[in-house]
Amino acid sequence: MSNILAIAHKELKSYFASPIAYIVIGFSAILFGWFFVNLLYYFDRMSLQAGIGQGGPETVNVNEMLISPLFLNVSVILLFTLPMVTMRTYSEEKRSGTIELLLTAPLTDFQIVMGKFLGGLVLYAVMLSVTVIHLGFLFAFGNPEWRPVVTGYLGLLLMGACFLSLGLFISSLTKNQIVAGMITFALFLMFWVINWISSFTGPTSQNVLNYLSITEHLNDFTKGIIDTKHLVYYLSFIAFSLFLTVRAVDSERWRG
Amino acid sequence: MIEVQQLTKRYGPFTAVNDVSFKVERGEILGFLGPNGAGKTTTMRVLTGYMPPTEGRAIVAGYDILEQPLEAKRRTGYLPETPPLYPEMTVRDYLNFVSKIRGVPRSERKTRVDYVMDRTRIADMARRHCGKLSKGYRQRVGLAQALLHNPEVLILDEPTAGLDPKQIIETRQLIKELRGDHTVILSTHILPEVSATCQRVVIINKGRVVAVDTPDNLTSRLRGSETLYVQVDSMGVDAKTALEAIPGVTHVALSDTSGAATGFEINSEMGRDVRRQLSSTIVTRGWGLLELRPLRMSLEDVFLHLTTEDVAAPEAAVELANE
Ligand SMILES: Nc1ncnc2c1ncn2[C@@H]1O[C@H](COP(=O)(O)OP(=O)(O)OP(=O)(O)O)[C@@H](O)[C@H]1O
Ligand SMILES: [Mg+2]
Repeated sequence: MSNILAIAHKELKSYFASPIAYIVIGFSAILFGWFFVNLLYYFDRMSLQAGIGQGGPETVNVNEMLISPLFLNVSVILLFTLPMVTMRTYSEEKRSGTIELLLTAPLTDFQIVMGKFLGGLVLYAVMLSVTVIHLGFLFAFGNPEWRPVVTGYLGLLLMGACFLSLGLFISSLTKNQIVAGMITFALFLMFWVINWISSFTGPTSQNVLNYLSITEHLNDFTKGIIDTKHLVYYLSFIAFSLFLTVRAVDSERWRG
Repeated sequence: MIEVQQLTKRYGPFTAVNDVSFKVERGEILGFLGPNGAGKTTTMRVLTGYMPPTEGRAIVAGYDILEQPLEAKRRTGYLPETPPLYPEMTVRDYLNFVSKIRGVPRSERKTRVDYVMDRTRIADMARRHCGKLSKGYRQRVGLAQALLHNPEVLILDEPTAGLDPKQIIETRQLIKELRGDHTVILSTHILPEVSATCQRVVIINKGRVVAVDTPDNLTSRLRGSETLYVQVDSMGVDAKTALEAIPGVTHVALSDTSGAATGFEINSEMGRDVRRQLSSTIVTRGWGLLELRPLRMSLEDVFLHLTTEDVAAPEAAVELANE
């Protein structure tokens, strides 16, 4: 465990020593803010219309109309930022030769992969926690339900963890961090548009595609529901990606 | 302490290390010598558990590197060919990190880090970022990193590459001081380094071991006869014949002329000292004796001999390797 923490700590330090951490956090704070303001404006208009009975919705609910769509929009932010977090994790170590230090230290491949994953996850958690400030306003000036907010964040954390584990795997396959970043982005995009494509297809394939879509599983979380189906999906996605990463690191050794 | 048995490593169809076997005793310093691409780095990478061998075994500090890699790695310090530094970390942070993953107990970390920085003379760079170090300092931080957990076995891939002459001497001194407590394998192309630091040499070429011996033995074994160099001036035309007439001299060859001075390489029978005869002949003939010195076959010659005539003399190589 202490080995995993040592690697995670090193990863985090290297994120904050480079512009990556600041770009990722800044970019997500700005985008989140922009979504927030737009949705707030929209929500404001809706509640005004509801208030004066001009064909708006029957009831207005901050959670349903503002917080939930806001969380769903975060997947767009992740699409752009998380490839930047993972692209260099393995690629850079391979290019610079520091991987030789890790692989000849008394560490297991699993510890190295977990350490890197954890490092990325903590950076992502910091990035999410910055967005809490926006929501703080809602709690200060209104009284939204807190439960969907908490589960929403849990869902976001899990969804991000999926993206991170996938990105880590891609990074373990190449020496070139730009290539790693681009492939990761393409894959994220694929998982992201899957459920959009599914709306054009037949019911069976729609179900399958929806199940595969990373973002689709976030829905329930933003409504305050923790469904084991979604938990299982996210956790197995993460476990599988990390497993593949361990395999990739190991097989690289054999190929030399 | 280290035992390599019939180790073979292939990269795809290419065989980088071919059936290499050798042993290193506890406390010994072994030099690993070979031209570029000989397979030194590859062998070391197998010994440190960075990559598995295609065939054969390696036992390091009593543990098979494939079967109990963590135990072997715990007892090994490794300086790779390119020092594995994280550019954004300061030297101290870096050494701290390495001491963590190397399993140095928390309470000893600071003393160990200070100690190795002192030994490798990098204390004044403690707060410099690794990415901003000069080549020589990177090399030294790499060496410091390998010493951190006071390992029984040290594997150093070209430890003096990129160092200035003063540092080279200091580093060799440091390595010599490790003798006894640590078992060291170091690779190099620099031959004097081997004579200066190592008790035994493994010469490897194109993935094969061509000789294993002490540096002294290697130089003397390959010397079939004694060779002297003499330089004379104002000599007669019959000089060559006159020299050849000296008893014991087997062959005289003109080696160089500069102005009036002429140099000869004189071979004599093994074990027979012809210097006294030689000098008196020259003096009585009234020539000027400018220089007289033995030409030893240097390690350089041995090396070139063994690594260029590789296919020509496989038996000789095997013979040496078996000694
Ligand atoms: N990852 C690799 N893939 C394919 N071939 C490789 C790889 N690494 C090394 N080789 C080849 O294996 C051979 C031995 O290389 P190695 O690095 O072990 O040589 P070396 O003795 O360390 O040479 P040098 O003195 O230049 O450091 C070389 O021909 C090299 O091209
Ligand atoms: Mg090498």
